[in-house]
Formats: sequence, C-alpha cells, structure tokens
Amino acid sequence: MGAHISIPMYQRAIPQRYRLVGQKCVKCGKVNFPPKAVCKYCLSSAEFAPVKLSGRGTVYSYTVIAGGGAPPEFAEIARCKGRYPVALVQLEEGPVIIAQLVDVPEEEEIFIGMPVEAVFRKIYEEEGVIRYGIKFRPA
Amino acid sequence: MEGVAIIGAGQTRYGDFPEKGLKELFAEAYFEMLASVDRGFDPQLIQAAYIGCLSAGSGFQLGQLAPLLMGHVGLPHVYAVRVENACASGGYALYNAACAIASGKFNFVLAAGVEKMRDVSSTKGRYWLGISGDTEYERLAGLTFAGIYALMATRYMHEYGLKREHLAMVAVKNHRHAVANPKAQFRQEITLERALSGPPVAYPFTVWDCSPTSDGAAVVLLCNAKLAKSFTDRPVYLAGFGAASDYLAVHDRHTITSLHATRKAAAEAYKQAGIGPGDIDFAEVHDCFTIAEIMAYSDLGFCEEGQAHRLLEEGVTQLGGRRPVNVSGGLKAKGHPIGATGCGMAYEIFRQLRGEAREPSRQIPNARFALSHNVGGSGGTAAVFIYRRGD
Amino acid sequence: MSVSVVSYGVYLPYLRLKREEYISAWGSCSAEIKEKTVMDVDEDVLTMAVAAAKDALEHIEAEQVSVLALASTSFPYQEKVMAGTIMEALGLPSDVLATHHGHSTLAGTEALLTACSLLAQAGGKYALVVVSDAPSASTAQDIEHSLGAAACAFVLAKEEPGLVLEGAYGYVSEVMGVRYRQAGERGIRDIGVRSFAAQAYTRAVEAAVTGLLKKLECSSEAYRHVVLHYYDLRTTASLGKRLGFSEEQLKGGLVYERIGDTGACSTLLGLCQTMENISPGDRVLVCAYGAGSGSQAVGFVLEQEKPACKTPLSVLLEKKRYISYTHYLKLKGVI
Ligand SMILES: [Zn+2]
Repeated sequence: MGAHISIPMYQRAIPQRYRLVGQKCVKCGKVNFPPKAVCKYCLSSAEFAPVKLSGRGTVYSYTVIAGGGAPPEFAEIARCKGRYPVALVQLEEGPVIIAQLVDVPEEEEIFIGMPVEAVFRKIYEEEGVIRYGIKFRPA
Repeated sequence: MEGVAIIGAGQTRYGDFPEKGLKELFAEAYFEMLASVDRGFDPQLIQAAYIGCLSAGSGFQLGQLAPLLMGHVGLPHVYAVRVENACASGGYALYNAACAIASGKFNFVLAAGVEKMRDVSSTKGRYWLGISGDTEYERLAGLTFAGIYALMATRYMHEYGLKREHLAMVAVKNHRHAVANPKAQFRQEITLERALSGPPVAYPFTVWDCSPTSDGAAVVLLCNAKLAKSFTDRPVYLAGFGAASDYLAVHDRHTITSLHATRKAAAEAYKQAGIGPGDIDFAEVHDCFTIAEIMAYSDLGFCEEGQAHRLLEEGVTQLGGRRPVNVSGGLKAKGHPIGATGCGMAYEIFRQLRGEAREPSRQIPNARFALSHNVGGSGGTAAVFIYRRGD
Repeated sequence: MSVSVVSYGVYLPYLRLKREEYISAWGSCSAEIKEKTVMDVDEDVLTMAVAAAKDALEHIEAEQVSVLALASTSFPYQEKVMAGTIMEALGLPSDVLATHHGHSTLAGTEALLTACSLLAQAGGKYALVVVSDAPSASTAQDIEHSLGAAACAFVLAKEEPGLVLEGAYGYVSEVMGVRYRQAGERGIRDIGVRSFAAQAYTRAVEAAVTGLLKKLECSSEAYRHVVLHYYDLRTTASLGKRLGFSEEQLKGGLVYERIGDTGACSTLLGLCQTMENISPGDRVLVCAYGAGSGSQAVGFVLEQEKPACKTPLSVLLEKKRYISYTHYLKLKGVI
C-alpha cells in the first residue's frame, strides 16, 4: 500500500521532477524549489521566472534507511539494497531538496558537505507506471 | 476571554488491544473521565466535542468520526468534529476546545483523542505513519517520519556535537519513567547498551529511538474556569495555550535543528500564562523520536539551542531532577496512539498536579506549573499548553 | 551534405559482477568476461539513456536538437512513446522528430543511420542518437552470463568537423542466428545450435563489411580501428582475420570483457572506446549484427577535432562497486 499519487498528479510536476526546473522570484531574485504560489523568501511576490537548476550541491544532512524504516512503496529498493541513504541536498542555487543518494561506495563515507550531483533514476512504480525523478550521486 | 479549567480526565492504557476498537477505546477513556470529576458530572451538560484522530481506524471512518463516537457514549446531538493534524491531532483538539470555552460560546467541552493502530499489517501501518509528511517530496524520497527526524538528528550531531549516546539517554530515561506508570505501553527499563545496539531503523536511529505504534484514547473535560469549583476543589487551569505551523517539508525550513512551530506555540502559551520557562516544574514533551525531545528542550526555553544534551548529562530532566520531562514515559515508552497523544499528556499532567500519579514513586511533589508539547509530523504543526494547579 | 559526430557520452552502471561469482554459483562462467556491468534496482534503459545523453549534450544547446533516435532491445514498456521521457529529462524541444528502434541488436546502428537521414529533413542543428541496452535472460541459461548494461549517446551535426560518416552498408537474411525473443517475453533465448548460429553471424558481418569496403573503395588497411559485433573470442577473431584486419586494428574497440554483452549498444560502445585513441585523418569501421539476421556496417573518418566527451569510457570502467551473485539475483528479481 503506497502513498497514492495519481498519474496526472505526478505528470503535472514532470519539469521539476525530471530536470529540476525551479522558480526565480522576480522581486527578491531567490530560487524556490519545489514551486510555490508565493515566494518563500520574500513572502510577498507571486511572480516567477522558470530556472533550470544545475543539480550540483552538497549534502546538508543524511540518513540511511533500513528495511523497517522504508515506506511500503520503497520496500523493493530496501529489499535489494538492504538499506538506502537519503539526503537533504543544498543546491548551488540555494534550495535544499530531499532525495536518495546512489552509487555511494560505502554508506559510512557519506558526510555533511559531501559534493553531489543529480542523476535521473526510477523513483518507484505505481499503477504499472514507472515514476522517474532525481536522485543524487557523489560528484 | 474566559478562563479555561480541566475538571476531569481519563485515558486508556496505551498498547496493543486486539479486543478493542476505536469506539471501545474512546468509551473507556470517556467513562474514566466522568468518574474523575470529584463531585460528579451530568454528561448532558457537554455542549461540544473535539476529537483528534489521524487514521480513523485505518480509514474506515475518515468521514464524521466524531458524531459516531459521541453517539456511542450517549451524546448524539452535541457539536462534534474530528480534528486532524497528524500526531498533534489530540493537541489541536485540546487547543480548539480551550478556544471554544475561552470565546464564551460553550461552558463544557470535551477534548479527546483516539487511535487504533494495531489492527493492520506492518505494511499498512507504515503507510499511515508516512502519510503526514510532504507526500510528494519527503515520502517520494523514500522516507517515513523516522527518516525525517533522522535527518534532523544527523544535522544536530554535526552542529552541536551531539552523540548517539545522548539520543539513547532519552530512551533509557523515558523507559525508566514508564515502569511505574500503569497506563504505559512499555513498562520495562532498557540499558544504554541495548538502546545503542538495537536494530537500525534510520541512521542514527535504532528501534529504541522510535516511539511505538499504539492503540489508545484519552478524554479531557474542560469547563469555564468560573464554574470549575462547583465540580471540584482541585481543578487544573489551562493558563496558556499556543499553536503554530511551519512548512510541512523539512527541505523548506530555514533550520532543521529546531522546530519553529514549537517556538512560536510556546511563546504564545508563555505570554498568555504570564510565566517563563523557568517557572515550569515538569513537562510532557513530544518525543516521537529521541531527537524530538532533545530539540524540544531548547525550543521550549529549558536551555540554549544546542545545549539540550547537557540537560541529559546532568540528569535535569529525569524524575527527581530539577525539571522532570516525560515522567509518564513519553511517547517513547508510554506509547503513541497518534490522535490520543496530545490529550494523554493533559491527562498525565491533570493527575500529577492533583497529586494523583497513583504510584508514589512517580509523583512529582509540590508542582505548580506544568507544560505539555504536542507536535504534528516533523513539526508542521505544534501545540503547547501551560497548566496551573488550581488551589 | 556531410553528417558528423561532434560529441558523445557514455554511461556504465556503477555495479559490477565478477566472472568468479558465476564460477562459484554455477561451477563455470559461459561468457568470456572478466566482469560485467549491472543496473541498480532504480535503473532501466531510459535512466541510462538520459545519463549518457546528458553527457553528450554537455556543450550543446538542448533547444537546437531537432532529431531524437532512441534504440534498445530492452525498453521498459512495449508500447509507449519513450522519447517523451528523454525529451523531458533533457529539456529537448517537444517538436523533436523522434524514432524508436528496438527489434534486434541492430537497433543502435539503425538509430544512427535514421538520425543521419532525418537530420537532412529537420530544420534544427543537431540530431541526438541514444542507444541504451540491458538485455536479459533467465538466470538458468548460459546465455545470461554475458549480459551487461550500458548506454551511449551521439550528437550529430550537419557540415561540422568531427567524426564524419562516410557511408553505410546493410545486409539481411532469413537465418535464425544465435538468439531471439518471442512477443511478450522478457528474456532472450538461445537457439542452441552452435555452428549454425556462428555461421549466420559470420556471413552477415562479412557481407556488410565487404559491401561497405567495396562501396567506399577502401581496402581493409584504410581503417585505424575496426569494431565488429562481438560474438565470441574465437569466432570474432577468425572473422576479423578473414576480412583482412589485423589484431592491432581490432583491439581498440574491444570492450566486451569488462562490460559484457550490451545488445544494441555493443558495437557503438566499441566506437566510443576507439575515440580515446584516434587522430585526425583516421578511419573507423563499425559493424553491428542482429540475430535473425542482419548486419550494418558504417564507416567514419575523423576530420579535424575529436568529438567532445565529458567522461570517457576508460574513466567509467574504473568507477564501480562489486556485488555478490546473491545481490545480482535480487536485482534480477529472481530472489
Ligand atoms: Zn521572493
């Protein structure tokens, strides 16, 4: 039993999920990701220009999820890998995003400040449709 | 604004009760509440009920749960509404009930919480545990709340030199507290070694850093403070109450080593009560994960930010210490039936301030002010209450 | 109009399985590999395709890509326009002319040749060819031992210096060849008739290569590098010799023993490998083979600059983590 996110709902967010398209606030110039209706920095502007983020950043914090700590829709990943790391990544452009880390030699080697870069991976599968999105790997 | 008093409270034991459903749990806590009113109470006086619940029994009654439960206890016609803010559902039920009295609209209001979590498979259970974060982002990164709080813990360790041992100290303390609490789910001590070497859940957490899933219910009876003395000589006054929100997703927050919602809710409650953190004699805080209690210490003003683990080292927050925290056992050992938790904290404080902690070994002597702190999810919502002994 | 490869990208999954793992699990390894690449649980040919294409587009404006040719024998869907995934992930214009190729291991060269022709029709500057494959078979079959995973991508441009395409020559025949896969099945099957299958391969590749040499009026010595679709060490070597190629010419594109059989990607991965050791004026010949059977030979010459590449194959070959056979079986969904 997974968190139900319908196919249309997932696909409405494709630009941000597939290639990290964020919003640059026309008033304060800061970058919002994921998108907001009102800029989360100046809390006053609702006008944005789309901006493609580089996908480069550093680990702000991390955890390693063991099988028992995984939501049901990630049970397969947990079963295959035994455990999987998830990080808050601070992007070069400012926003912090949350995603899994992949291609890590050893989980013990993850550290706060570790440079990472975005990669395109399968996130999970629901209703027979593969949901793709961004994960990060050591840069 | 009218004053708010608590004149009765009841709570089921928290735990695993295959023979009881939502209705039975709620009724059990409700009848204990009625029996606790010193001079008796005619239930027909109750005008409204705010009932906190997240999953409504794994979704079987997401619609109109509150009238269902009120009908079950013979009050089919009162104003009744389900309140939902994840793990803070009970706290928000209490907050709304307090506001309803304070506004002068009602004189007698029920604040309650109930949750039935042990009826489902562990897969379904984890579904419900992970449904209150930012589903599109946190959940799709493969996280449940254990993982989200683990991100906070890792960052806290990085910024303030917190060690895994400090996390374990919270678990050890709260388990020790629960031993004497007949309402607690886990009444056994654990050693520091055991807490540190448990099966990993999400680094740096082992299972011992995480609160359990529980069945349970708690019911609190609020009344206009002016009327309280006709029902009891020992009411407990809600001297202050605050509630606030934050960005649901941790990635949107400016810091993850502190919960902004807690800070804002606490400031509101302290201001209303006209006291400060130094006046609080004991507290029930939201320790869904060990790091949550550590963050709560500084967010509630018990210490400077980043110094919380010193309180543990010095034993300040253990029973017998200068300011005991979670003498009930906390969510960690008393149990965490999500919707019930916030009202269960009020139940514990009601009993403690009236000198009714049952086991003498766990009674906090001479306490005048107490605080309860209930958090929704990873801090998307928080409610803080300050209680004053009424004598 | 001349068409040239101006940049390329390669992707190898991070995980590797060593030959020894097969030997300890099955008593032997039927493939002539030292190790092979393995996709992680969250990878498929589309994620590999995006990774390779992203590198190929490192210095190219995605908006200028007007043709997208995608090839694989292992697409995650049997019916769906998968170019959409690639288009969105890379930010290509949505009016890109897209083609999908996938019914044999010839798909890679098919995509390359199709993109060349479409580039003439299309208004934009570039064509993107993405070949990504991860053939699979039942783990109980010998043929499974060799199967790896990889992707490569090429940006083609009109009238620009780079690896210029000189010509192509095709061949098809009704001969089963070594492997096939029935509709609805996920795994390939071996027809199990050794010498017959080897002969089908030899004939097809020989026909395409000799045809191309004749068409381009080139001798076999004209090529610095020759990449023949890998069959097995002995068969491919003796075919190379028969066609008049030296070991020196053939070795530059040999990637099989450290990656495995990557289906439609195989020969083009060899082409990427030769790019690391090539000088202006050098010619390269690649010949892909598809069982069933057919072959396509393509000739290139390097004019001026080498195609740009962000991370060459030699670097990717060293970025890896070894997994156990048990872990491999979990990834294959067997246990
Ligand atoms: Zn702004």
